[in-house]
Amino acid sequence: MAFRDGLNMDTLSRYPDTGWRASGWLDLALRWLLGGLFVLASAHKIMDPAAFAKIIYGYDLFPAVAINLIAIILPYIELTAGLALIIGVYPRAAAVILSGLLLAFILAISINAVRGHVFDCGCFSSGEDALWRSTPGWLLGRNGILLLMGWSISVFRGQRKVLVRSG
Amino acid sequence: MLLLAVAVSLALLVNRFSPLGIPLIGQWDTDVGVVTADTAAAAVWMDFEIPDPEVAKQVFDAGNALFVDVRSQAMFDDGHIPGAVSLPLGDLDTRLEAFVADVSPTQPIVTYCSGRLCQDSHTAAQRLMESGFENVVVYIDGFPGWIEYGYPVAIP
Repeated sequence: MAFRDGLNMDTLSRYPDTGWRASGWLDLALRWLLGGLFVLASAHKIMDPAAFAKIIYGYDLFPAVAINLIAIILPYIELTAGLALIIGVYPRAAAVILSGLLLAFILAISINAVRGHVFDCGCFSSGEDALWRSTPGWLLGRNGILLLMGWSISVFRGQRKVLVRSG
Repeated sequence: MLLLAVAVSLALLVNRFSPLGIPLIGQWDTDVGVVTADTAAAAVWMDFEIPDPEVAKQVFDAGNALFVDVRSQAMFDDGHIPGAVSLPLGDLDTRLEAFVADVSPTQPIVTYCSGRLCQDSHTAAQRLMESGFENVVVYIDGFPGWIEYGYPVAIP
Protein backbone atom coordinates (compact mmCIF):
# COMPACT_ATOMS: atom_id res chain seq x y z
CA MET A 1 0.00 0.00 0.00
CA ALA A 2 1.45 3.36 -1.04
CA PHE A 3 0.87 6.67 0.66
CA ARG A 4 0.60 10.03 -1.07
CA ASP A 5 4.04 11.11 0.14
CA GLY A 6 5.61 8.07 -1.51
CA LEU A 7 6.17 5.98 1.66
CA ASN A 8 4.73 2.52 1.80
CA MET A 9 4.06 0.02 4.59
CA ASP A 10 7.41 -1.68 4.13
CA THR A 11 9.22 1.59 4.67
CA LEU A 12 7.17 2.38 7.77
CA SER A 13 7.74 -1.03 9.31
CA ARG A 14 11.46 -0.65 8.86
CA TYR A 15 11.34 2.73 10.62
CA PRO A 16 8.44 2.23 12.99
CA ASP A 17 9.45 5.00 15.39
CA THR A 18 9.77 8.26 13.47
CA GLY A 19 10.43 11.69 15.01
CA TRP A 20 12.94 12.72 17.67
CA ARG A 21 12.76 9.40 19.49
CA ALA A 22 14.11 7.71 16.40
CA SER A 23 17.60 9.07 17.04
CA GLY A 24 19.77 6.30 18.42
CA TRP A 25 22.32 8.87 19.48
CA LEU A 26 19.82 10.78 21.56
CA ASP A 27 18.70 7.49 23.11
CA LEU A 28 22.32 6.66 23.88
CA ALA A 29 22.92 10.09 25.42
CA LEU A 30 19.84 9.69 27.63
CA ARG A 31 20.88 6.18 28.62
CA TRP A 32 24.39 7.23 29.57
CA LEU A 33 23.16 10.29 31.44
CA LEU A 34 20.44 8.47 33.38
CA GLY A 35 22.59 5.39 33.92
CA GLY A 36 25.57 7.45 35.01
CA LEU A 37 23.49 9.46 37.46
CA PHE A 38 22.11 6.32 39.07
CA VAL A 39 25.52 4.66 39.26
CA LEU A 40 26.88 7.78 40.95
CA ALA A 41 23.85 7.99 43.24
CA SER A 42 24.30 4.37 44.28
CA ALA A 43 27.96 4.77 45.20
CA HIS A 44 27.66 6.65 48.49
CA LYS A 45 24.69 4.54 49.54
CA ILE A 46 26.72 1.38 48.98
CA MET A 47 29.66 2.87 50.87
CA ASP A 48 27.52 3.72 53.90
CA PRO A 49 24.40 1.56 54.08
CA ALA A 50 23.81 2.45 57.74
CA ALA A 51 23.54 6.15 56.90
CA PHE A 52 21.25 5.39 53.97
CA ALA A 53 19.05 3.28 56.25
CA LYS A 54 18.74 6.30 58.55
CA ILE A 55 17.55 8.40 55.60
CA ILE A 56 14.92 5.77 54.75
CA TYR A 57 13.84 5.73 58.40
CA GLY A 58 13.51 9.51 58.20
CA TYR A 59 10.84 9.24 55.52
CA ASP A 60 8.62 7.54 58.10
CA LEU A 61 6.88 5.52 55.39
CA PHE A 62 8.30 2.04 55.82
CA PRO A 63 7.92 -0.66 58.49
CA ALA A 64 10.95 -1.11 60.71
CA VAL A 65 11.62 -4.61 59.42
CA ALA A 66 11.94 -3.34 55.85
CA ILE A 67 14.29 -0.40 56.41
CA ASN A 68 17.62 -2.25 56.44
CA LEU A 69 16.57 -4.48 53.54
CA ILE A 70 15.68 -1.46 51.43
CA ALA A 71 18.99 0.17 52.36
CA ILE A 72 20.90 -2.96 51.37
CA ILE A 73 19.09 -3.78 48.11
CA LEU A 74 17.99 -0.46 46.59
CA PRO A 75 21.50 0.86 45.84
CA TYR A 76 22.36 -2.34 43.97
CA ILE A 77 19.19 -2.07 41.89
CA GLU A 78 20.29 1.47 41.00
CA LEU A 79 23.81 0.28 40.24
CA THR A 80 22.78 -2.76 38.19
CA ALA A 81 20.12 -0.93 36.17
CA GLY A 82 22.41 2.08 35.70
CA LEU A 83 25.25 -0.09 34.40
CA ALA A 84 22.83 -2.02 32.19
CA LEU A 85 21.73 1.24 30.58
CA ILE A 86 25.31 2.36 30.03
CA ILE A 87 26.64 -0.83 28.48
CA GLY A 88 23.40 -1.73 26.70
CA VAL A 89 22.19 -4.87 28.43
CA TYR A 90 18.39 -5.04 28.51
CA PRO A 91 18.18 -1.24 28.31
CA ARG A 92 14.40 -1.15 28.12
CA ALA A 93 14.01 -3.27 31.23
CA ALA A 94 16.64 -1.17 33.02
CA ALA A 95 14.81 2.04 32.07
CA VAL A 96 11.51 0.61 33.30
CA ILE A 97 13.13 -0.37 36.62
CA LEU A 98 14.68 3.06 37.12
CA SER A 99 11.44 4.78 36.10
CA GLY A 100 9.66 2.68 38.72
CA LEU A 101 12.17 3.79 41.35
CA LEU A 102 11.75 7.41 40.29
CA LEU A 103 7.97 7.10 40.55
CA ALA A 104 8.39 5.65 44.04
CA PHE A 105 10.72 8.51 45.03
CA ILE A 106 8.25 11.07 43.66
CA LEU A 107 5.44 9.42 45.57
CA ALA A 108 7.41 9.33 48.83
CA ILE A 109 8.52 12.95 48.55
CA SER A 110 4.99 14.06 47.63
CA ILE A 111 3.39 12.24 50.56
CA ASN A 112 5.82 13.85 52.99
CA ALA A 113 5.40 17.26 51.38
CA VAL A 114 1.61 17.02 51.67
CA ARG A 115 1.65 15.91 55.31
CA GLY A 116 4.40 18.40 56.17
CA HIS A 117 6.75 15.73 57.43
CA VAL A 118 10.33 16.93 57.73
CA PHE A 119 12.93 14.69 59.31
CA ASP A 120 15.63 16.46 61.24
CA CYS A 121 17.69 14.26 63.53
CA GLY A 122 20.05 17.13 64.36
CA CYS A 123 22.91 14.88 63.30
CA PHE A 124 26.21 15.64 61.70
CA SER A 125 27.24 12.11 60.90
CA SER A 126 24.30 10.60 59.07
CA GLY A 127 24.95 12.32 55.79
CA GLU A 128 21.32 13.17 55.25
CA ASP A 129 21.91 16.85 55.90
CA ALA A 130 22.28 17.77 52.23
CA LEU A 131 19.30 15.67 51.25
CA TRP A 132 17.01 17.24 53.76
CA ARG A 133 18.15 20.73 52.82
CA SER A 134 16.83 20.03 49.32
CA THR A 135 13.31 21.37 48.93
CA PRO A 136 10.56 18.95 47.90
CA GLY A 137 9.91 21.11 44.83
CA TRP A 138 13.50 20.79 43.65
CA LEU A 139 13.57 17.04 44.28
CA LEU A 140 10.25 16.53 42.48
CA GLY A 141 11.38 18.64 39.52
CA ARG A 142 14.66 16.77 39.22
CA ASN A 143 13.02 13.36 39.52
CA GLY A 144 10.32 14.40 37.05
CA ILE A 145 12.96 15.20 34.42
CA LEU A 146 14.75 11.92 35.11
CA LEU A 147 11.43 10.08 34.82
CA LEU A 148 10.87 11.64 31.39
CA MET A 149 14.31 10.40 30.38
CA GLY A 150 13.49 6.91 31.62
CA TRP A 151 10.17 6.94 29.79
CA SER A 152 11.86 8.07 26.57
CA ILE A 153 14.38 5.22 26.77
CA SER A 154 11.74 2.62 27.57
CA VAL A 155 9.46 3.55 24.63
CA PHE A 156 12.30 3.96 22.11
CA ARG A 157 11.75 1.71 19.11
CA GLY A 158 14.61 2.72 16.83
CA GLN A 159 18.01 1.15 16.35
CA ARG A 160 19.90 1.52 19.63
CA LYS A 161 23.58 2.41 19.70
CA VAL A 162 25.99 0.49 21.96
CA LEU A 163 23.80 -2.52 22.52
CA VAL A 164 24.99 -5.82 23.97
CA ARG A 165 21.59 -7.39 24.47
CA SER A 166 18.22 -5.85 23.68
CA GLY A 167 15.14 -6.04 25.84
CA MET B 1 13.48 -9.74 36.19
CA LEU B 2 17.00 -10.93 35.47
CA LEU B 3 18.40 -7.49 36.27
CA LEU B 4 16.47 -7.40 39.55
CA ALA B 5 17.60 -10.91 40.46
CA VAL B 6 21.22 -9.96 39.80
CA ALA B 7 20.86 -6.78 41.84
CA VAL B 8 19.25 -8.50 44.85
CA SER B 9 21.76 -11.36 44.82
CA LEU B 10 24.70 -8.98 44.53
CA ALA B 11 23.34 -6.77 47.31
CA LEU B 12 22.86 -9.62 49.77
CA LEU B 13 26.20 -11.18 48.89
CA VAL B 14 28.21 -7.97 49.25
CA ASN B 15 26.36 -7.03 52.42
CA ARG B 16 27.11 -10.44 53.90
CA PHE B 17 30.86 -10.24 53.38
CA SER B 18 31.57 -6.49 53.42
CA PRO B 19 32.87 -4.87 56.61
CA LEU B 20 30.36 -2.12 55.82
CA GLY B 21 27.48 -4.60 55.86
CA ILE B 22 24.51 -4.12 58.16
CA PRO B 23 22.08 -6.66 59.68
CA LEU B 24 18.96 -7.41 57.65
CA ILE B 25 16.85 -5.86 60.41
CA GLY B 26 17.90 -2.76 62.34
CA GLN B 27 16.92 -1.14 65.61
CA TRP B 28 14.35 1.52 64.66
CA ASP B 29 12.33 1.74 67.86
CA THR B 30 13.04 4.88 69.89
CA ASP B 31 11.40 3.25 72.92
CA VAL B 32 14.21 0.70 72.91
CA GLY B 33 17.07 3.14 72.42
CA VAL B 34 18.96 5.10 69.82
CA VAL B 35 17.80 4.19 66.34
CA THR B 36 20.43 2.54 64.20
CA ALA B 37 20.80 0.13 61.31
CA ASP B 38 23.63 -1.54 63.16
CA THR B 39 22.14 -3.67 65.92
CA ALA B 40 25.55 -5.09 66.82
CA ALA B 41 26.82 -1.58 67.58
CA ALA B 42 23.64 -0.84 69.53
CA ALA B 43 24.25 -3.86 71.74
CA VAL B 44 27.76 -2.62 72.53
CA TRP B 45 26.54 0.90 73.11
CA MET B 46 24.07 -0.21 75.79
CA ASP B 47 27.00 -0.90 78.09
CA PHE B 48 27.82 2.78 78.29
CA GLU B 49 24.50 4.53 77.90
CA ILE B 50 22.45 6.66 80.28
CA PRO B 51 19.01 5.61 79.08
CA ASP B 52 16.80 8.34 80.53
CA PRO B 53 16.87 12.03 81.49
CA GLU B 54 16.26 11.42 85.19
CA VAL B 55 19.46 9.42 85.55
CA ALA B 56 21.29 12.06 83.52
CA LYS B 57 20.01 14.70 85.95
CA GLN B 58 21.29 12.67 88.91
CA VAL B 59 24.72 12.52 87.28
CA PHE B 60 24.47 16.25 86.59
CA ASP B 61 23.53 17.00 90.20
CA ALA B 62 26.41 14.90 91.52
CA GLY B 63 28.56 17.58 89.94
CA ASN B 64 31.67 15.67 88.98
CA ALA B 65 30.84 14.77 85.38
CA LEU B 66 31.75 16.91 82.40
CA PHE B 67 28.88 17.09 79.93
CA VAL B 68 30.09 17.29 76.34
CA ASP B 69 27.64 18.63 73.75
CA VAL B 70 28.54 17.22 70.34
CA ARG B 71 25.80 19.02 68.39
CA SER B 72 26.68 21.88 66.09
CA GLN B 73 28.00 25.12 67.59
CA ALA B 74 24.80 26.90 66.50
CA MET B 75 22.61 24.40 68.35
CA PHE B 76 24.85 24.69 71.41
CA ASP B 77 24.54 28.47 71.30
CA ASP B 78 20.75 28.19 71.22
CA GLY B 79 20.84 26.38 74.55
CA HIS B 80 22.64 23.54 76.28
CA ILE B 81 23.00 21.69 79.56
CA PRO B 82 24.60 24.09 82.09
CA GLY B 83 28.34 23.62 82.38
CA ALA B 84 28.52 21.57 79.18
CA VAL B 85 31.38 22.18 76.78
CA SER B 86 30.82 22.30 73.05
CA LEU B 87 32.69 19.70 71.00
CA PRO B 88 30.76 19.42 67.71
CA LEU B 89 31.29 16.10 66.01
CA GLY B 90 31.96 17.93 62.77
CA ASP B 91 34.88 19.76 64.38
CA LEU B 92 36.18 16.84 66.41
CA ASP B 93 39.29 16.35 64.30
CA THR B 94 40.44 19.91 64.85
CA ARG B 95 39.30 20.36 68.45
CA LEU B 96 40.04 16.98 69.98
CA GLU B 97 43.75 17.66 70.56
CA ALA B 98 43.01 20.77 72.64
CA PHE B 99 40.31 18.90 74.54
CA VAL B 100 42.71 16.06 75.37
CA ALA B 101 45.26 18.60 76.60
CA ASP B 102 42.71 20.34 78.84
CA VAL B 103 40.84 17.41 80.36
CA SER B 104 42.17 14.65 82.59
CA PRO B 105 41.81 11.13 81.15
CA THR B 106 40.10 10.05 84.39
CA GLN B 107 37.48 12.84 84.20
CA PRO B 108 33.96 11.34 84.01
CA ILE B 109 32.46 12.51 80.71
CA VAL B 110 28.87 12.43 79.50
CA THR B 111 28.36 13.01 75.77
CA TYR B 112 25.01 14.01 74.34
CA CYS B 113 23.49 15.19 71.07
CA SER B 114 19.94 15.52 69.72
CA GLY B 115 18.34 12.46 71.25
CA ARG B 116 17.50 8.97 70.13
CA LEU B 117 17.52 9.79 66.42
CA CYS B 118 21.14 10.84 66.68
CA GLN B 119 24.23 8.64 66.92
CA ASP B 120 26.76 11.47 67.08
CA SER B 121 27.14 11.23 70.86
CA HIS B 122 28.09 7.57 70.50
CA THR B 123 30.59 8.34 67.76
CA ALA B 124 32.12 11.09 69.85
CA ALA B 125 32.22 8.87 72.94
CA GLN B 126 34.03 6.22 70.94
CA ARG B 127 36.58 8.76 69.74
CA LEU B 128 37.10 10.07 73.27
CA MET B 129 37.67 6.54 74.58
CA GLU B 130 40.15 5.91 71.78
CA SER B 131 41.90 9.11 72.84
CA GLY B 132 42.47 7.74 76.32
CA PHE B 133 39.46 8.86 78.32
CA GLU B 134 38.55 6.09 80.70
CA ASN B 135 35.13 7.08 81.96
CA VAL B 136 32.82 8.07 79.11
CA VAL B 137 29.09 7.50 78.95
CA VAL B 138 26.39 8.61 76.50
CA TYR B 139 23.19 10.30 77.57
CA ILE B 140 20.93 9.02 74.79
CA ASP B 141 17.91 11.32 75.16
CA GLY B 142 20.15 14.28 74.53
CA PHE B 143 19.16 17.90 74.77
CA PRO B 144 15.52 17.35 73.63
CA GLY B 145 14.99 14.90 76.52
CA TRP B 146 16.57 17.35 78.95
CA ILE B 147 14.21 20.11 77.79
CA GLU B 148 11.20 17.80 77.92
CA TYR B 149 11.83 17.14 81.61
CA GLY B 150 12.11 20.86 82.31
CA TYR B 151 15.68 20.71 83.57
CA PRO B 152 17.82 23.87 83.66
CA VAL B 153 19.22 25.21 80.41
CA ALA B 154 22.14 27.54 79.81
CA ILE B 155 21.87 30.05 77.00
CA PRO B 156 25.11 31.99 76.38
